[in-house]
Amino acid sequence: MADNNYHEEEVIGKAYDARLMRRLLTYARPYRIPLAIAIILLIAGSGLQLLLPVMVQIGIDDYIAVKNMNGLGTIALWSAMILFGSFIFSYLQMYITMYIGQKVQYDLRMQIFGHLQKLHLGFFDKNPVGRLVTRVTNDVNVLDELFSSGLVSVFGDIITLIGIIIALLYYNWRLALFTFAVVPLLIIATTIFRGKVRAIYRDVRTRIARLNAFTQEHVTGMNVIQLFTREKAVLNKFNSINADLRQANLKSVYYYAVFFPAVEIISSISLAILLYYGGFQVGAGVLTFGELVAFIQLVQRFYDPIRDLSEKYNILQSSMAASERIFKLLDTEPEIIPVVNGPKPAKSEGKIEFQNVWFAYNNDDYVLKNLSFSVSSGEKIAIVGATGAGKTSLISLLFRFYDYQKGSIKLDGIEINRMSNEILRSQLGLVLQDVFIFSGDYAGNIRLGNDNISDAQIIEALKKVNLHDFVINKEGGLNSEVKERGATLSTGQKQLLSFARALAFNPNILVLDEATSSVDTATEKMIQKALDRLLENRTAIIIAHRLSTIEKADKIIVLHHGEVREMGNHKELLQRKGIYYRLYQMQFRDEDLKAVG
Amino acid sequence: MLLNPYLLKLAFDRLENHSPSNEILKIALLMVLFSVISGFFRFSMRRTLIWMSRKIEYDMRSDLFEHLLKLNPSFYHNTRTGDIMARATNDIEAVRMMIGPGIMQMSNTIVTAVTAISFMLYLSPSLTLISLIPLPILSILVNRLGQIVHKQFMKIQDYYAVLTSKVQENLSGVRVIRAYNQEDSEMKSFSAHNEKYISLNMGMIRIYSMFYPLLFMLAGTVNIFVLYFGGKAVVLGEMSLGTLVAFFTYLAILIWPMIALGWVISMYQRGTASLDRINKILYTKPAIESSSISHNKSELQGKIECKALSFAYNGKKVLHDINLLIEAGMTVGIIGPTASGKSTLVSLIGRLFPISRGQIFIDDIDINDWDLHSLRSKIGFVPQEPFLFSDTISNNIVFGVDFANPAEIQKAAESAVINKDIGNFNDKYETVVGERGITLSGGQKQRVSIARALLTNPKILILDDATSSVDTETEHLINMYLKGEISKRTAIIISHRVSAVKDADLIIYMETGTIAESGNHDALLSLNGRYALLYKTQLVEEELNRM
Repeated sequence: MADNNYHEEEVIGKAYDARLMRRLLTYARPYRIPLAIAIILLIAGSGLQLLLPVMVQIGIDDYIAVKNMNGLGTIALWSAMILFGSFIFSYLQMYITMYIGQKVQYDLRMQIFGHLQKLHLGFFDKNPVGRLVTRVTNDVNVLDELFSSGLVSVFGDIITLIGIIIALLYYNWRLALFTFAVVPLLIIATTIFRGKVRAIYRDVRTRIARLNAFTQEHVTGMNVIQLFTREKAVLNKFNSINADLRQANLKSVYYYAVFFPAVEIISSISLAILLYYGGFQVGAGVLTFGELVAFIQLVQRFYDPIRDLSEKYNILQSSMAASERIFKLLDTEPEIIPVVNGPKPAKSEGKIEFQNVWFAYNNDDYVLKNLSFSVSSGEKIAIVGATGAGKTSLISLLFRFYDYQKGSIKLDGIEINRMSNEILRSQLGLVLQDVFIFSGDYAGNIRLGNDNISDAQIIEALKKVNLHDFVINKEGGLNSEVKERGATLSTGQKQLLSFARALAFNPNILVLDEATSSVDTATEKMIQKALDRLLENRTAIIIAHRLSTIEKADKIIVLHHGEVREMGNHKELLQRKGIYYRLYQMQFRDEDLKAVG
Repeated sequence: MLLNPYLLKLAFDRLENHSPSNEILKIALLMVLFSVISGFFRFSMRRTLIWMSRKIEYDMRSDLFEHLLKLNPSFYHNTRTGDIMARATNDIEAVRMMIGPGIMQMSNTIVTAVTAISFMLYLSPSLTLISLIPLPILSILVNRLGQIVHKQFMKIQDYYAVLTSKVQENLSGVRVIRAYNQEDSEMKSFSAHNEKYISLNMGMIRIYSMFYPLLFMLAGTVNIFVLYFGGKAVVLGEMSLGTLVAFFTYLAILIWPMIALGWVISMYQRGTASLDRINKILYTKPAIESSSISHNKSELQGKIECKALSFAYNGKKVLHDINLLIEAGMTVGIIGPTASGKSTLVSLIGRLFPISRGQIFIDDIDINDWDLHSLRSKIGFVPQEPFLFSDTISNNIVFGVDFANPAEIQKAAESAVINKDIGNFNDKYETVVGERGITLSGGQKQRVSIARALLTNPKILILDDATSSVDTETEHLINMYLKGEISKRTAIIISHRVSAVKDADLIIYMETGTIAESGNHDALLSLNGRYALLYKTQLVEEELNRM
């Protein structure tokens, strides 16, 4: 995932989409009560904050001006209480809102992850893992921002703004209107600034993304750069990308440097107007000193919510894009519908029957054609064939990773797509050529998540594959750390670990894709021994590469271009003098001659 | 800006004394004038400081990358890409914040505080002292809470990585999970991770949600102090109402720099920590450098000799006492099981790692005495894992040389049997590889990587299992084309397939870090050992594929 991080495109879409927003809000529905509480607290908190300048006004006009000392103490006390109240309210409000954001984040993540567990395997063939991971992690984080700092605080900003306007108009509507005279100026300045900065911001973002992608890529490919002695050329390219970024950054510096002083000048102008016209009114006795002071303090607070609101625009925009991606994933229906309450085989014998099975990944491009064979209880079947003969597809069908188009596959007499996946798969064990090792510990890699498998069973499985001593001698024993993808384990150890996994689950039927990579002779012997134990007393379907495995099989199926070309045991196939005979001869020419001679 | 409150005081005093309104107008105009002047200073300061910080950022990034280009594979083996990226992104940004916005806010705070406080002291020393009490608390609070929040944030980031890799593993191992019916337990374990992540977040939220309300409360407290004590002074006639108003305004101006001061301190703390981490990389010496007596020969014959060569990596023996002589122009095949030391041997010839024991001679000169650049530019190395840049195919092939004309590129592509595939892409040689372009198959990537090496016209060509993902038919074609290329130079071919090495002048069968068997194909077959066994096993597969 980390590898893809820096390649993710910055998608800038619509800022608001009512359909998406409505759907997003449904995630807040379970939390409507805390949400309502948060909104009430918000209104109360903002209201109290606006009361403070009023208290100052009362303090000046009613007490200081008339030299009433006791009253001044009372008003100070009241102010302190109001201040404390507003602290409690805003704290609780922020806490509750962010709490809701976290809850929604949790719910969404579970929903997406759960949905991914249900999607058919074909979906994963088409969608790169990195991108799907982003849906669960990053995209949800973006939405959290919307819930915890976006929606509610937008509401709060609007309330504060309205509160200030009302208070100003209430004190003196003429003076208020004069003060508002600079607002258009402010709006114009902000709009120009935002327009310029947004364009540059986009520039900066894409250039950062490009620089990071370049760095990441070249750090990963450092070997190649050094082997081809291209350090100088690469550095030049890096510097030019770096310079592009610097240039965009410097441009934004200019706008910020102009904008902030401009806002200050504008607010100075409004203060000057306030002072001149307010002073005039005070002189005329229409306005009190205290009111003028309160006015000044309120106006100072007027700009914050405006600035805040314009920042929320970015959050809205990115959350719309993220939710669109998330919903698209959630709306993808699994193509293989799991069976609920399907029939259970009366007896688990491990019998498999393929009857005229046809299968294609896309349309009519059949990779398995009219495939028929049966495996009786305890039988071992070896499947032999070239790359692309359909061996992997065959075992994928048995697990119902994909649905076949024609024919039928039966397990213990019941068609597999009438069975629930749990029942079907609990009969089967899978060992893949490319062993998948999870990060965690040894025990976890064997039992996966199945708590019914005891430590004793794990130890027994490890003993059977000769891995017990290796694991037990580690400091943490069964719970020693296993790195991601089994990074510290050898190819052979990974193989054995996956054998132990299959042994611990103890399935009736084992499906094995034999590894092709050659290992040294000692390891080879160990794997061979473990394999024999694994196959004891079960039905097995093996995609075989080793001649010893093939020879020992009860039945050999030679698969070619999705069709069964030959079927029978070693002896029968040799007598038939067909493909298998030819293969066998090539390999054992010398030995055969010796045996005959 | 800083004069504004004082002007306010003057205005209010005049209002109290019922002065004519044009006096007030004069003060109002002065206010605007002063803010224009201060605006100009602020503009210049921001431009200079932030501008400088962006330039320093550029230099730092450039230096870091330049140094990264010099570090050896062992550094990259032991350092995660994510960590290097964190240095190049977050840490550089933290340092820039320290020297740009950090210094700007700092000087801003100092200027504002000194001026405002001197004015306030001038107006009323006692009220100044009383009202300033909460301000340092404000700075300390911002800094402390900022630290806690940052620490918790780092914890959250770390756990975010755990959560991410959990999802990543779940999706990559989807077949195993489904086959063993573990969807429910995966949901359970994901839910636990998810919950832990949320609870870490909540830990931060508990503090974070207090942050702004607390700031607001402290700021408000200052106001109340002024209202009460200042009001008292006015009542007692010690102070004018205008002074009181000026105080309110000065405090309003002071609060932001005080908050910023707390920030600046955390910026400084974070910035120095980041600088340390960056320096750690910059002070890492490359393990391999050209020696002082380095040979810089323009001509290289291609004779390679290993004498009693041993190599250990991270305490594990990988190669043991290898003796090998490859005459110039020879073709050598190396075969053997995984982890037998094949790749390590050729990496040492490419001088990717320093040699632990023994020696390697190229043209009878110790490899350590060669100039690194001139040695490597004569070696064409195709690594096991092909690495293509997300650039056009043509640029990927040209990568190893400064310039190549289309005919040369095409010829290299033909020899690597990739030209037909390229012809089928929409943009031919200009097709972009990767994310937004076409995704090449493993075999195609390997063939582009071979073409890249051929184009450099090397004296020594090393193919490290370079056709493992290529289908057999194409592999035969490549072998055929390569024969022409190989005859002109020394070639070392590592392969899992006997068919790729059986025509070599010398075949080495390696096992557990030693040469187990060596000789040509016929000699090794008559030895009837491991090579012969491997040969037979693979004949079957080849035949199957030929069917």
